[in-house]
Amino acid sequence: MKISERAFRAVGKPLARNEDLRLITGKGRFTDDFNLPGQLWAAMVRSPYPHARIRNVDGRVALQLPKVLAVYSGADCEADGLKEINHNPVPSTKYDLKLTGKDGGAVFIGKHTLLPTDRARYVGEAVAMVVAETREAALTGAENVMVGYEELPFVVGTVEATQPGAPILWDSQTDNILVDSSFGDAAATATAFAKAAHIVSDVFHIGRVTGVPLEPRAALGDYNSETGRYTLYAGSGGAVRQKHELAHVLGVEPKDVRVLSFDVGGNFGTRNRAYVEFGLVMWAARKLGRPVKFRADRSECFLTDYQGRDLVTEVSLAIDESGKFLAMRASNLSNVGARCVSLSPLSKGSGLITGSYNIPLATLRSRAVFSNTMPTQAYRSSGRPEVTFAIERLIDKAATQLNMDRFEIRRRNLVAPSQMPYRNAVGSTYDSGEYEINMDKLLRLADWQGAAARREDAKRRGKLLGIGFANYVESSIGTPKERADLIVSPEGIEVVIGTQPAGQGHETSFAQVTADLLGVPFERVKIILGDTDVVSAGGGTHSGRSMRHASAVIALASDDLVSKAKLLAAQIFHVAEGDVEFDDGVFKITGTNITTDWFDLAKRLKELQLEDFPGGLWVRRDNEMHTPVFPNGACMCEIEIDPETGGIEITRYATVDDVGRCINPLIVHGQTHGGIAQGVGQALWETCYIDPESGQPQNGSFMDYGMPRFNNLPFFKTEISEVLSPTNPFGVKAGGEGGTTPAPAVIMSAVENALAPLGITGVEMPATPAKIWAAIQKADRSALAEYI
Amino acid sequence: MTNIVLTVNGTQVLREVEDNIFLAYFLREQLGLTGTHVGCDTSQCGCCVVHVNGTSVKSCTMLAVQANSADVTTIEGLAKGDVLHPVQRAFKEHHGLQCGFCTPGMIMAAVDLINTYPKPLTAEIVRDEMEGNLCRCTGYHNIVKAILAAADEMRPVVTA
Repeated sequence: MKISERAFRAVGKPLARNEDLRLITGKGRFTDDFNLPGQLWAAMVRSPYPHARIRNVDGRVALQLPKVLAVYSGADCEADGLKEINHNPVPSTKYDLKLTGKDGGAVFIGKHTLLPTDRARYVGEAVAMVVAETREAALTGAENVMVGYEELPFVVGTVEATQPGAPILWDSQTDNILVDSSFGDAAATATAFAKAAHIVSDVFHIGRVTGVPLEPRAALGDYNSETGRYTLYAGSGGAVRQKHELAHVLGVEPKDVRVLSFDVGGNFGTRNRAYVEFGLVMWAARKLGRPVKFRADRSECFLTDYQGRDLVTEVSLAIDESGKFLAMRASNLSNVGARCVSLSPLSKGSGLITGSYNIPLATLRSRAVFSNTMPTQAYRSSGRPEVTFAIERLIDKAATQLNMDRFEIRRRNLVAPSQMPYRNAVGSTYDSGEYEINMDKLLRLADWQGAAARREDAKRRGKLLGIGFANYVESSIGTPKERADLIVSPEGIEVVIGTQPAGQGHETSFAQVTADLLGVPFERVKIILGDTDVVSAGGGTHSGRSMRHASAVIALASDDLVSKAKLLAAQIFHVAEGDVEFDDGVFKITGTNITTDWFDLAKRLKELQLEDFPGGLWVRRDNEMHTPVFPNGACMCEIEIDPETGGIEITRYATVDDVGRCINPLIVHGQTHGGIAQGVGQALWETCYIDPESGQPQNGSFMDYGMPRFNNLPFFKTEISEVLSPTNPFGVKAGGEGGTTPAPAVIMSAVENALAPLGITGVEMPATPAKIWAAIQKADRSALAEYI
Repeated sequence: MTNIVLTVNGTQVLREVEDNIFLAYFLREQLGLTGTHVGCDTSQCGCCVVHVNGTSVKSCTMLAVQANSADVTTIEGLAKGDVLHPVQRAFKEHHGLQCGFCTPGMIMAAVDLINTYPKPLTAEIVRDEMEGNLCRCTGYHNIVKAILAAADEMRPVVTA
């Protein structure tokens, strides 16, 4: 029977999480909870300049201080033969858009050494490391390292960095542009634009933010001189990937590095790539013969956690008399920072520029540029909120320009279920979805009918009510390979897998899947993650890949395990393999009244020690799955603006999200809630603002980085829609990023809608009260008189 | 260095501590109570909340010597053996945690709020009172629900 037709006992149920007990009782295992005997502490000397030549690093004063043991510079790393972090930034599944350099060739990414030898290229870049007996001594030591800097011209702005005459970050390059690729049919698009009745255009900058996982990043490195093996405790988005990358840095075989990543206090993309401190603590541990620990303080996290977004997009839409979209043009420019760590945001966004709409022609130019800023990386829903913002805001503008209802113009252009699978104009093939049904469900859920009355009520109270709306479609791709080991013991079933949750509940949802596939109680399944000496392979957690990849590989492994167990039962009961039937956890010997189950088989095998079953009743299965899925949905919010202060209150927020098969609705709704908060945060409060005059980041603590808080968010109404994806056994799409994807667009749509009576347009993110108040001061006072 | 005597989770503790060590690090590094987390340097995030003499305190901003002779309860001391505190149970039942890093501070702050707020709690009150605790995973939605549910259990409505 096909999995999608089975009745499930655990799958689809809102089961409370297996993870929770340890986390609510203080028994979680986060990186900084680990300490090793004799451990030392590392602190980084960070560049105060956005761009400076490093003349010399003088550690003599620091080394005189009590408890300071060592000062290391880039030259020391180089002398020891440490290699660069081999980031592999160009997404490379069969379905990723192929980004190339300017001439169509390889992308120059800029060497990411642990400590630079030539220049510091952004404020906060580590240029030296101090190791001491205590953290305080290391920090004091770092303050006393004298670095000879020669300041260089710098550029931090995304567009500014592309301009002729901009300071160039890498000597081997003639400018800062590292990617320049074009997609779609330019000639046909030009023809369509030439005959269009309407052309609507805009330019948007989706600004720079950072992930802010609440657990500051930390690392504890050790080296065993007898075995020649390194050990690293470090929370990440995938221990296996870190093992391979750091082995390259250290110049050893991957088997000689063990990475342990247990509880991870938030990731959101920031932890998917290796940090220099991870390599540095292991290297220093070998040099000094003692474990070395590093813990970033919050300001270091704001400065040097990989950041997100920072995309400038120029978009145009060609529309006919009836409001049908004919063609689209986009030019997207991604600011990757000082070196290229990941092109995922640019790539993922590039494949989705046409959004949820049937736009037959499109052309896109995708560029990436270096600047004197912290490198950017995938941040929750990498690349998709940016392009969703562009198309949805552009459609709102088109509705105004064409004097059409903003829902009607969308309905007229949505991709229809009958068109699925739908290949969009830049080559992405949407697997499934019912976009207009999402819209209809959402309008009911959000009580669109009652909105007019609420607007009147708000006006009576002197408030400007704004209604925001956006559709979205996103892609979930991710690393294509995943591995699962299924191990049966008399006590239960263990699943060893290479994903790396940071709160997504894998220990629960993967157990639900396994329980139903094998016909065992949910309570008997245990998921093992995060220690590379146990987890031999796996792609980590990003891009909404984990539930889909895990359920697919566990389904395949389950089939293998059933076959193996049938063979075992045949040997135990001395019958032919074909005489063993399996159904829902029970093995039955045909023509007899003998039945057995998984745990009984494992127990008997343990007693018998059959030589055909080395290691017991277990299987290992690898799976490679390239085909992407396209979660989608619709989102609506209402805000009230106080025209006297510019203050915003979000009064209603509703979403309908097609996640494909929902394994655990409790978890999926939770993912949506958190995703919404992060998207709303970018729209209203969050920014990594870098002063263009000084190159200095201005948001270094929770005092000056606006976070979503208890009292600036409402309760959310979230509804899950399950249109099963035909691409994988369970029909999973993804549930982790749909909350974020439309949120900046929907909030800014609401802000514009609220301010429309005052004739205000073009407020930029984050739409802080100060910006809104300033815009209101310049607005038409007569319209304002109705509210104040 | 100063000698301090205090009660931590019901057990008397005598230690010699550095004068400048914060309570959070004293608990984590000297007593091994790593359930209390530190998420910032500015008393903004609330991951480090513990109870000192029954009142919630951001332990990253209180010196260990200031806790001399105090009665300190951390997340490890909240459950009675295997019996979870109602707030712990509510966080699990309502999915009030994801990564779990902010959770100990959230729970400790919520317990104090429920125990001491003079009026019945509403979502709005919970949101205003808990504003000093940050969470990056949940959007706060299920945390508010969990706190209200625990409050209902801990503070049964008394009809006059």
